[in-house]
Amino acid sequence: MASSFVELDVRPILRAGGEPFEAIMGAVSRLGPGQGLRLLATFKPVPLFSVLGAKGFGHEARELADGDWEVVFRPEEGMAEPSAALAETAAADASDWPAPAQHMDNRDLDPPEPMVRILAATEALKKGEVLSALLCREPIFLIPELAKRGHAWRGAFEGDGKTYRILVRIGAAGKAAA
Amino acid sequence: MIGVSLSRWTISYFAAALAALMAAETMMAVGYGFPAAPIAAPATLILVHVVAIGWLSLLMCGALLQFLPVLVAQPLYSNALALPALASLVAGLAALVLAFLQLDGRVVPSTPFFAVAAILLIAGFALILWSLARTMAAAPAMPLPAQFVVVGLAGVIFTVALGATFALVLGGTVDYEPLVLLTAAGLPIHIVAGLGGWLTFTAMGVSYRLLAMFMLAPELEGATTRGALFLGAAALGMAIAAGILAVLLGGNPSLALLAALAMGVLALALYGADVLRLYRARKRRNIELNSRMAAYALVSLAASVALTLLLLAMGRLSDHAAAVVFLTAFGWLSGLGLAQLYKIVAFLTWLECYGPVLGKGPTPRVQDLVVESRAGKWFLLYFIAVWAGAAMHLAGFPLAFRLAAAVLLVATVGIVAQLVRARRLVDVKEAVRFPQGVQRPRFLLSCQP
Repeated sequence: MASSFVELDVRPILRAGGEPFEAIMGAVSRLGPGQGLRLLATFKPVPLFSVLGAKGFGHEARELADGDWEVVFRPEEGMAEPSAALAETAAADASDWPAPAQHMDNRDLDPPEPMVRILAATEALKKGEVLSALLCREPIFLIPELAKRGHAWRGAFEGDGKTYRILVRIGAAGKAAA
Repeated sequence: MIGVSLSRWTISYFAAALAALMAAETMMAVGYGFPAAPIAAPATLILVHVVAIGWLSLLMCGALLQFLPVLVAQPLYSNALALPALASLVAGLAALVLAFLQLDGRVVPSTPFFAVAAILLIAGFALILWSLARTMAAAPAMPLPAQFVVVGLAGVIFTVALGATFALVLGGTVDYEPLVLLTAAGLPIHIVAGLGGWLTFTAMGVSYRLLAMFMLAPELEGATTRGALFLGAAALGMAIAAGILAVLLGGNPSLALLAALAMGVLALALYGADVLRLYRARKRRNIELNSRMAAYALVSLAASVALTLLLLAMGRLSDHAAAVVFLTAFGWLSGLGLAQLYKIVAFLTWLECYGPVLGKGPTPRVQDLVVESRAGKWFLLYFIAVWAGAAMHLAGFPLAFRLAAAVLLVATVGIVAQLVRARRLVDVKEAVRFPQGVQRPRFLLSCQP
């Protein structure tokens, strides 16, 4: 059982119209061995259950009196290591990455324009900088191109299940393998 | 998700397929096969198999090698199996044509071409299936469009198994009584498994994804899509399993096929509702030529279904089955195939050519590889010729049908010319065609550094 919990309240981010996914994943990556996460949100963050489930966390969700939700994620016995599938999905762990230097919303662009703009942006950024882009589907043809150019990336669907966020770190592919 | 690269041999599959399509249209235009020859004549069998294996199956295999990985977000299991599979399928088709000519007495029967064809076609399809099955087995998830493809692949297994049975019996290699029975009465099952199972089901699955992708519409995963999958799979299971059982018990498979038809029509109705929803929910208002032309193909599918039901009600289905098959093969499957090829060839060429330099300087857009206004006229001519041809088939005017087939051939040549231009980057402005570091792609195979 988890001996202690780190508390993360993402309600201010959500109320400000922001996207707490990075903050949550950042907090998760900073957890010590056996530590759990107590998350406070304005809705029941169902998609997180599977994301963190794949990282070896069980969850208990509880609706609070004011309609907000408290979810306790605790590491499960024997599941401390992220599964191989997840390690593959997240080609690089973004927890120690700097905040994105550039944000793009490519959700309403006709394919393959999202890919073109992301690659153009990666050319303009400096080594080590991070690009964050929103897409409406997995960027299947972009990934091999990022790999060829030596960039590290990680991506996942957001809570709504429809928006895909990819983070690209310029020239960091070598680190990703470590 | 580790991304998907270009399938190395897909363009070669497309080229072989288009050659077969033009060959088949030439045969129809010069009056080779039905309706000039009887429906069961060797000439008709040659025509039908050049369309079904040479054109539609090669097109579908080539497309699946590239797009099944996209459907399941998993790289293709092997690029190395694609070329032997293509060679095996083309050689198998050639052997099959020779075998039909033996049946006709035009080729001396010293070589057992039926047996050779059976072995080569089984080998070719088996290599494709193995590669696709391994790709799916490694995928983290199986979205609904991929599940349609699974049913389609089950369809091709039965189609090829029945076809090989016919070939071995007709070629005199096998005289086992149940297989002889199957050969005598199993033809409708072979047609339903091939046209309905393999080709239509796979096309449905791929179209769900491609239409959503190209029109910026939300992916459909709801009850109607699942309903179309389950009802369609049940229809195929009924047609194949109950149909074969009926034949082996000495009866005829009509009742099983009728029950399958009822379920199949429901499945297609759900699919139709889904497709309408995709077109209506699209975020992209001005859709490209491939999506506009796909609509004509979908209308042809609806017309095929309506025609089947009408002829059935009038008790004339067996008289006009050829018209239904023609409309399904050329209006629906070929129409959809050509429409999507128009986009796919340009996109794959663009990705191969400009992918490595994207963002490093100005590059042409995918749209710059094509001239839609020019291609649109050929597509329009194509669909008019298909519909006229089906009408002439129904009305019983063989000469007018040949004329429609000739127009069909002209329109197809026009469309193929557009595909060749896209592949050769002819329509890209010369000043921007080859930015630094870019080379003209090879015509028939895709290479990525």
